[in-house]
Amino acid sequence: MNGSDDRLPPRSRERRHFLLGMGAAAGGALAAPAALAATQANAQTQDRAGNAGTQHHVTDAPTGDASTEGRWPFYGDFQQGIITPRPAAGMIAAFDVIAKTPKDLEGLFRMLTERLAFLTQGGRPPDLDPKLPPADSGILGPVVAPDNLTATVSVGASLFDSRDWLKPLKPRHLQRMTRFRNDALDAGICHGDIAVQFCANRPDTNIHALRDVMKMMPDKLVLRWKQEGSVPVIPPRPDGRVESARNFLGFRDGSANPDAGDRALMQRILWIDGARGEPAWAERGTYQAIRIIRNFVERWDRTPLGEQERIMGRRKSSGAPFTGTTEFDAPHYAGDPHGTVTALDAHIRLANPRTTGSEKNLILRRPFNYSNGVTKSGQLEQGLLFICYQADLEAGFITVQRRLDGEPLEEYLKPIGGGYFFVLPGAREPGDYLGRTLVEAVRAGNASPT
Amino acid sequence: MRLKYLLAVTALMSTLGGTAYAQQNTTLDLVEPIAEYKIYVSEKLQQLVTDTKAFTDAIKAGNVDKAKSLFAPTRMSYEAIEPIAELFSDLDAAIDSRADDYENGEKNPEFPGFHRLEYGLWEKNSTDGLAPIADKLLADVTLLHQRITDMALPPEKVVGGAAALMEEVAATKISGEEDRYSHTDLWDFKGNFDGSEKIFILVRPLIEKNDPAFVKKVADNFNTVGTTLAKYKSGDGYQSYDKLTDDDRKVLASAVNTLAEDLATLRGKLGLN
Repeated sequence: MNGSDDRLPPRSRERRHFLLGMGAAAGGALAAPAALAATQANAQTQDRAGNAGTQHHVTDAPTGDASTEGRWPFYGDFQQGIITPRPAAGMIAAFDVIAKTPKDLEGLFRMLTERLAFLTQGGRPPDLDPKLPPADSGILGPVVAPDNLTATVSVGASLFDSRDWLKPLKPRHLQRMTRFRNDALDAGICHGDIAVQFCANRPDTNIHALRDVMKMMPDKLVLRWKQEGSVPVIPPRPDGRVESARNFLGFRDGSANPDAGDRALMQRILWIDGARGEPAWAERGTYQAIRIIRNFVERWDRTPLGEQERIMGRRKSSGAPFTGTTEFDAPHYAGDPHGTVTALDAHIRLANPRTTGSEKNLILRRPFNYSNGVTKSGQLEQGLLFICYQADLEAGFITVQRRLDGEPLEEYLKPIGGGYFFVLPGAREPGDYLGRTLVEAVRAGNASPT
Repeated sequence: MRLKYLLAVTALMSTLGGTAYAQQNTTLDLVEPIAEYKIYVSEKLQQLVTDTKAFTDAIKAGNVDKAKSLFAPTRMSYEAIEPIAELFSDLDAAIDSRADDYENGEKNPEFPGFHRLEYGLWEKNSTDGLAPIADKLLADVTLLHQRITDMALPPEKVVGGAAALMEEVAATKISGEEDRYSHTDLWDFKGNFDGSEKIFILVRPLIEKNDPAFVKKVADNFNTVGTTLAKYKSGDGYQSYDKLTDDDRKVLASAVNTLAEDLATLRGKLGLN
């Protein structure tokens, strides 16, 4: 079995990573696509300790990948798709679950694990008699290429609430998402018993995976809603730097994201351990908050640049805070108690005030931009498929969002959907399955926290 | 009126005095238009409180027909000054939020204000259970009047309000989704356009000399809106939104987006942040 230490993604998208020479092997992001794919395929076995001081931000812009052969390990202590660098295409699909008994639930989890293990690693679906429908949709061709697909499975409060035998095992912060003051939640794109986050280099790979799961498991999963999104591919600059991708407001999103390559930090802000008062089965899991946030882009585009920057708290062009010169400079508020440099209600200052104690509210953001067509009023229906991860939903997303309630940016945003979910612990090796610890806890009738 | 005007000017001078833009001539030129605008807002708010009282009295008296007839005219004063009302987002939500703002829509007991009453009156054709919502609406509207009377209007909010009104129409009104039970949307449009045009007319003398083409373009678009809406006039008010033809809806949508684009430059043209 591979230890968790080996499951760090390759440092192919290191921030602030300056190549010493063009031939340097350390520059995974700059290496030829085939070489990049190879390093990713071998991520489990390679020791990829990076240079001191380099950071790996999941929100770095994807740098592009001509190969479809890259793959991320499916098995491990933690699920993939969380600290994995964010590729260009993402999708959330939320399902209702048909499972009356623990046995049904186990069957569902085993089947889902089997499908996702296959889809994320790729391979050739079986050839069937042509008189039968084919085993696979075929949209990726006769051989399914992994294309860096990750699939991340999480469970919603409703899975527990509607089943007496699961109720006592609900993670302590897992709850149905309720309305914040600027929300206009559409019940048709909220909540779910199970959510799967698919991420890949190409949107078709995510669609293929969703269609596979739906085709293989119609007796167990009923699709409730889905939302696709993307982030722009930006080739690294000549000096090797990778920028944060921009959102549909034109601002860089993720500059201040915690360093996903920092294992101790991730253990502190992401992963459930025995010290959090959670049910034992939940260890190695994490909370996921999903929000579909519509942006009023026409109105935003008609807002003076100076006001846009005041509202966000960053320069639009560079992404730098007003106290710095690049997007990676940390903003300093200590000398600015009255908000003369960075407004007290600027988005980044409310979201992370950088005061003593506010590090408890750190979250790992991994959002995608979405674009859905046209509203009834003839405007663009687009915005942010916001996804974030944290070990404590209450101290994380919910606290941060409460601080943001009433922010000036609200005039340009309308959260319309999403939900709160709990990401299951990873399946450790072939034969193990996602959700095993939960099913075993049901069988053991053991609901007491660790 | 005269005294009120002077008080408003004094209040505004004191706000401007504390800001960096006070040095700019254009901003000083804004003192008078903004003072006049404050009077406009005060009058609209007084009208709103009076009309809301009559509207909610009708509901509490169980008079469905009378309440229905007062719904749209009562809203017009609110719609005209909406960007100022929205400075208090708690009250704006309490007064004017829509069913979409609440998961499960109309069934959600949190759904308040004008549109909750509209839903009861038109969809249920009844005033049953509406009295507490009516009381709350009147209280909120009265509180809004007080709060705005007590505040100095920020110049950038006043001038920005011309565009903000058009943004509201463009984003979530032109489709007829605002007054979806009563279909009195054209009354709201009239209030929104009047409120926006009022601001434009007040600051127009400050830009006319330097930018006559801009002023003409904006005025022409307001005219287009005015003549289009006038086709649907009925008595003191407007016909149902259902009567708006596709062609006229497109004309309005195009005009409102053009006005939004142009009026968005008003603050900058006047040297405001």
